[in-house]
Amino acid sequence: MAKGFLPCGTYHQDYLHDHAWWQTKFVKGKMILLGIILFFVIPHLDPYWVGVANMIGYTILGALGVDLLIGFTGQITLGHAAFIAVGAYTSTLLVLEFPWPHAFIHMGIAYPISIIVGAIVAGLWSVLWGLPSAKVKGFYLILTTMAAQFVTVNFIITQYVAKIGGRGQAFSLPPGTIKFGPWVMDNPIRVYYLMVILVLLCIAIVANLLRSKPGRAWMAIRDNDIAAETLGINVVLYKLLSFFVAGFIAGIAGAFWISNLAAISPEHFPWSWSLWLVGVILIGGTGSIHGTIFGSMFMVLVMEFLQMGILPLADIYPQLLDKFFFIKESTFGLAICVFLIFEPNGLSYRWWQLKNYFNLWPFSY
Amino acid sequence: MAETMKEGDELLKVENIHMSFGKVAALSGVSFKVRKGEIHSIIGPNGAGKTVMMNCINGLYRPQRGNIIYKGQKINHLKPYQRAKLGISRTFQKIELFSGMTVLDNIRLGRHIHMKTGILSGALYVGKTSREEIEHRAYIEEEIIDLLEIESIRDKIVGMLPYGLQKRVELGRALALDPELLILDEPLAGLNLEEVEDMARFILDVNEEERWRVTCILVEHDMGVVMDLSDSVTVLNFGEMIADGTPEEIQSNPEVIKAYLGAEDLYVSRA
Repeated sequence: MAKGFLPCGTYHQDYLHDHAWWQTKFVKGKMILLGIILFFVIPHLDPYWVGVANMIGYTILGALGVDLLIGFTGQITLGHAAFIAVGAYTSTLLVLEFPWPHAFIHMGIAYPISIIVGAIVAGLWSVLWGLPSAKVKGFYLILTTMAAQFVTVNFIITQYVAKIGGRGQAFSLPPGTIKFGPWVMDNPIRVYYLMVILVLLCIAIVANLLRSKPGRAWMAIRDNDIAAETLGINVVLYKLLSFFVAGFIAGIAGAFWISNLAAISPEHFPWSWSLWLVGVILIGGTGSIHGTIFGSMFMVLVMEFLQMGILPLADIYPQLLDKFFFIKESTFGLAICVFLIFEPNGLSYRWWQLKNYFNLWPFSY
Repeated sequence: MAETMKEGDELLKVENIHMSFGKVAALSGVSFKVRKGEIHSIIGPNGAGKTVMMNCINGLYRPQRGNIIYKGQKINHLKPYQRAKLGISRTFQKIELFSGMTVLDNIRLGRHIHMKTGILSGALYVGKTSREEIEHRAYIEEEIIDLLEIESIRDKIVGMLPYGLQKRVELGRALALDPELLILDEPLAGLNLEEVEDMARFILDVNEEERWRVTCILVEHDMGVVMDLSDSVTVLNFGEMIADGTPEEIQSNPEVIKAYLGAEDLYVSRA
């Protein structure tokens, strides 16, 4: 997306200023305000809404990787839940089964280490499934990434990984096992703080990559892979790097999400979750980090409000509660249709226009 | 591999290239030499195989037979991105810019091979990467944007620009590689007279200015420009080389006149 317009009379004196993230005092103020809201206001809301915020954060982490692949590298993926599952299972297995030294468990660094390991394993697994992208693109790549979903979740995890330790289908995470430093992850507010830090970290990583050499190479591959190659970009290498970073963030998402769950089973990572994440970035706007955030907020909140709207009707139409899953799915489909027709650039484009309008107000140039 | 080449040394040698698509022989036995510091033009009627030849030099196509020797080194087996690192850069006949990105980002991508940022340092950005970005930004602003006079459009999305400016941005992107050999595939096609004059001036600038001294291979239909700019000319017709020499020799070569121009009047220039 083009750079936003600066308010009249704002000029850059040097390149450092022009490359800065937050270019005016007003933007810095907005960011400080956002920080205050994130760290001091939302945690004091009703725990239910903090839980909703955690769901939004999880969706952002998942959709960020999808946006990196689809929106920035142009590699369409429909199997991202597989990499989230790999991160979640790696982290769970490490926490539950690995013979940690007693001191590690006591200090609560077993879980943080497992997040990093889970992210790396998911990244490498993602690179493996990104290998076909060296030869195929478009519809064919959709099929190979879908294969990643079914082979990983429906076959390897369901048939083998879920049976480690003779637990049957679900791994239960007893209260107190997930410990991050001195904090036991036992209420939504602690999970929320972990979520905010991970989301901010991942967004910073992706945003930084996008304004340096690797990110530009990804966008070049998205826009024109032949020209990219003649400029000295090793197209296959950068595609695989993109798969690695996307998988890495998916791994963080999965490893984070187990702190919010009492048990983890393959049903948490269905194919429809992969599809959902693609829908999120379509609604938010592909190729934009803002879009990932807005799309996640939009989808999670719309579903919450839908549920709240349906609950009072449940006394009259008890069927509504039974069939809520279908209502949710059809709303999702409808939302994507509406956005593709009326706002194909997504919510982030509206945001960009709104920002420019106020930056240029009252005299636009 | 020759380290420093003098003016007039052989920079690129194309030997006996054969390339066919199915039963269509696009190139059959083409050979020519490009000396360092010159502008070497390749002309010929439509479908003569000029662009195929460029794609072979650049690595997008692999010729079935023949050698491409760059600075005394055989580069047949190298992929396009490896050839770019050796200093071969190109523009395209149909514009192949990254249409969703800004002008500045397009030219920055030309600096790709000169940047060192990896995934880890890129993710952190502070320090080394930030310094590198600013260094290259200064280079782009001072060397390329200034040369091509595109200051006012640096933050515009490339896909939205008029055709002539897109051609100019594409030249800028190719120059950002700091190439030794620049392949210009019809840089003047579709431009109006004023833009043609500008572009011809830029090509002469990068060829003659001490700062650049880029050897150019020019594929072009505008005879006036070709004859004025080139140091040597190769003429292709139906995939075969029919003449090779200085512009004066080419202009008086009866076979060229017969095959290419079909008339006694050589100049079909807009100028």
